[in-house]
Amino acid sequence: MNSHNHKNTRKVTIVPCSGIGKTYGTVSRLAAYEVVEDLRPDSAQLVPLSLLVLGDEDTRATLQGSQTVTIDGCKLACARKMVAECGGVVAQDFAVLDVYRRYKQFKPDGIAELNEGGQKLARALAEEVAQVVDRLNEDKGGQCG
Amino acid sequence: MVDLPKKKVGIVACSGEELPEGTITRLAGLKVLEQLRPHETVTICLPLFLAGGEGDRAFARFYPTIAIDGCEKRCAARGTERYSGKPAASIIVDQLMREAGMDEPGGLRELDEAGMQGVELVAERTAALVDELLDKKWSRSEGDFIDETGKDQVSEESLPESLANSGPVTASCACGSGIPVQKISVNGTEMTMIALPLIFEKFHQAGKPPKSETMDELLETVKIYNPIPENLTEALPQALLREYQEFCNRKDISS
Repeated sequence: MNSHNHKNTRKVTIVPCSGIGKTYGTVSRLAAYEVVEDLRPDSAQLVPLSLLVLGDEDTRATLQGSQTVTIDGCKLACARKMVAECGGVVAQDFAVLDVYRRYKQFKPDGIAELNEGGQKLARALAEEVAQVVDRLNEDKGGQCG
Repeated sequence: MVDLPKKKVGIVACSGEELPEGTITRLAGLKVLEQLRPHETVTICLPLFLAGGEGDRAFARFYPTIAIDGCEKRCAARGTERYSGKPAASIIVDQLMREAGMDEPGGLRELDEAGMQGVELVAERTAALVDELLDKKWSRSEGDFIDETGKDQVSEESLPESLANSGPVTASCACGSGIPVQKISVNGTEMTMIALPLIFEKFHQAGKPPKSETMDELLETVKIYNPIPENLTEALPQALLREYQEFCNRKDISS
């Protein structure tokens, strides 16, 4: 059940914020799932922010050995700050609000369950993240998995 | 009107993205916050203890908290204790579900049936804990429950009514709002004082002058929210008065 300790440092690591009280946090989480499960399952992996808070050694080692993309739901940028704090390299940070400004037709609502706009926004965000994952993999010679 | 939040219970969910149990913590926490106990609970994102400021780190001292963890790593409970204050109660989802004889949950984005049953179980258990915790007296100065047999400690119930009660508050996250704190220097020691900005505001609004006649009342109010080290007991009143004087000066200049 526990997959915490089996990370691949050749994959790009995706760290979404753990935002629990706002819609944008849910969008960040859903977008991360879409990247690692649907769009780039062979070249991207998820790291839970809660393990970074705890200073989990394996998780820190994963971060230090791989390129990381963070997705933050609000300006406090917990994901970006935590990755930096743990010695990771933030190749790119996405802020959901900035992404929403590019896709204003997708107005998100809901926290436990996103509305259709939120789901579409998450998909749009995930596609942008996937492009960054591709670029990062190209930069290091296309080796992944 | 400046008021400190009334006593609520803080919910800290691990939100672990890698496990179905992490999703359960998140959905169960939200169910409590939005549906079961919306007026009695507030939440904060776990990483904000590190990424946020002093006010965010004061969260678990200000509120009795319930940590909801997906697995035995107990990131929420241990993270809260390490960076903010010891949780008043703790739930571990996989343990709770096992004890209830439930199937192992599946799904991350969308939980399966066992997962959704887990959400119900954890939410109900959390709501029950909220009720239990609200029945006890919480000391915001100690960040712990008050021993009912003790006579000397100041309880929240002893607060002036205007400080103890706020208007209706809907379920919300404390993200970015934090607990109001202020750093002051006492005998060369820097102290982070919880609620001090609002206490000053309250005193200023009540027309209390920054003079020795106000000092006792100011000190007693500050002590409700802050433990005072014994070696600073003598120096603190003057330091508080000095800070209050500066606060009043700033107010008078800006008005």
